[in-house]
Amino acid sequence: MKLREHEAKNVLKAAGIPVPAGFLIRSADELTPHLEELGSAFVLKAQVDVGGRGKAGGILMADKATGTRVARELFAKQIKGLPVKEVLAEQKLDIRHEYYLSITVDRSSKCPLLLFTEAGGIEIEITAKEHPELIRKVVASPLLRDLPPFMIRELIGTAPKEIGPVINKLFRIFIEKDTILAEINPLVTTPDGVVAADAKIIVDDNALGRQGITVNRDLSLREREAETHGFSYVELDGKIGVIGNGAGLTMATLDLIEFYGGKAANFLDVGGGAESERVMHAVRLVASVPAVKVIVVNLLGGITKCDEVAKGIIAAGISQKVIVRLAGTNEAEGRRLLSEKGYEMLDTMDIVVKKAVEVTA
Amino acid sequence: MIYGDKNTGILVQGATGKQGEFHIGLMNAYAQQVGGKGVVAGVTPGKGGQQVHGVPVFNTVKDAMKNHDIGAAVIFVPAGAAADAIMEEANAGITTIVCITEHIPVQDTMKAIAYARMEGASVIGPNCPGLLSPGEVKMGIMPAGLFSRGNVGVISRSGTLTYEVVDELTRAGIGQSTVVGIGGDPVIGQTFVDVLERFEQDSQTKAVVLIGEVGGNLEEEGATSTDLPIVSYIAGISAPPDKRMGHAGAIVEGGEGDARSKIARMKKHGVPVAARVSEIPEMVRELFRCGC
Repeated sequence: MKLREHEAKNVLKAAGIPVPAGFLIRSADELTPHLEELGSAFVLKAQVDVGGRGKAGGILMADKATGTRVARELFAKQIKGLPVKEVLAEQKLDIRHEYYLSITVDRSSKCPLLLFTEAGGIEIEITAKEHPELIRKVVASPLLRDLPPFMIRELIGTAPKEIGPVINKLFRIFIEKDTILAEINPLVTTPDGVVAADAKIIVDDNALGRQGITVNRDLSLREREAETHGFSYVELDGKIGVIGNGAGLTMATLDLIEFYGGKAANFLDVGGGAESERVMHAVRLVASVPAVKVIVVNLLGGITKCDEVAKGIIAAGISQKVIVRLAGTNEAEGRRLLSEKGYEMLDTMDIVVKKAVEVTA
Repeated sequence: MIYGDKNTGILVQGATGKQGEFHIGLMNAYAQQVGGKGVVAGVTPGKGGQQVHGVPVFNTVKDAMKNHDIGAAVIFVPAGAAADAIMEEANAGITTIVCITEHIPVQDTMKAIAYARMEGASVIGPNCPGLLSPGEVKMGIMPAGLFSRGNVGVISRSGTLTYEVVDELTRAGIGQSTVVGIGGDPVIGQTFVDVLERFEQDSQTKAVVLIGEVGGNLEEEGATSTDLPIVSYIAGISAPPDKRMGHAGAIVEGGEGDARSKIARMKKHGVPVAARVSEIPEMVRELFRCGC
């Protein structure tokens, strides 16, 4: 789950990384008591869970005279469709130079990967494409608690030495806060020292519990409901609902729909053990999306009991058509139960998907 | 065979749990069918002295090692205890460790894999179905009934999708040498490169089916690392960016790891990529036909 900017900055601050003086406000009036401290010019930043908010008008400049009016303007906005409920008011920095620093999980080396460039402030993907030679990389062992000084020297090169402690502190955060991305862009030098002007932290979804995070904000309401049943669920924009067991098989089912010219409305992986009640919840959840005209159920596994699945589909009692492909134990009984109630049970995933695409065409 | 054969004694960590118990039964039914050793010992801290399907349970891996000849371990413990289990096994000297457990925090996985590497152990998974060499050994949860013995290796990031492919291959009369599920997490122990290296050393394996998905670039790394003939399938061509598609590792991030660019890179390297799973058997036959 991605932390909001003010949350990420609090994490940095607690670890001893300097951040701009700032205040979180929930209305324009809340700005008034802070005007003195913020100084003559400051920045108002909408705290919304969406990328590219700057270009979408979510970051505005203000000063003592215009502050309240600009804040009101920002609170009245929708940023990429999202209402602005919180704004971070921050002192404007006297920036000398902008750097980029990040730590991610590197799949190839299976280790934390640190990236640093003196060309900060812009999107790292663009620098990576156009000037890869400007990005310095260091792979660190996940067994280290602190980075050895040579790694920090390799990273910062000729940049100011005072950046070194920031790098080690961010490394500690990366490990202790279960992050999969810890990024400071830009990390800036000012007359008062190094400051993290912006921060992005993504916490590992598999570690939210032990990090004390109870609600995953990155998920939609339906995705959260799916999570309570132990399903993986993703919303898409077609008409065919898809239920499978196993992420790979479910994805392959979506791809097959596209191959035959259709479009999936969602993706639901029921996971292991498809008992009738789980299947019922899965079918109902997928059917609750208004755009869904037909549902494909594609379940395979040596230990999946087809009669259980059939009972679940029947118990769901939904109005949309359900087309089923089942392979596992008790196939004959599952087929009998389904055909009794007028459901179609077909033999291969190609046939099932083709049929569903025909229905929605 | 790679990773193990009939003579490999297996240890199950988390033997007394529901999953552990269920799969010890299935693994040993398979071992009996092929005349293999199967699971010879289980480990659950505090449950030493018990038995599961006649398999003795020990408190620690080292205790089990003292009493039995063990070549590999399969882990069924909950996510919070799995990294510890990997490290305990590696420390005790087990060199092949299969971790079935899903939802392990990635920081734990990185540490456990780095530690296992130091101890000289290979970790398969986590978040994987394990491996099966037909007629020899099953370490994990794959449904053995779909498999047949032959000379095609299969490597996959998925579980059920692998069964689908194996089912298609078997129906088409194409047997498998070893099928390895390397796991759906972003950080996994054995990657395509590692398993392909083993297949290269394995005289039984003549060609490989490589099943990948969105996220990262381990598939391309693998395909360019070997001279073995490969047929590939990449799931997730319809996956939207920044959405996790069921597996923790199945996500297109920062415009990278999407299926289309993966497929393009594979093809550029001369690896045929199936558009549908059902096309795979015919493409494998084509590999053998042209002898390339």
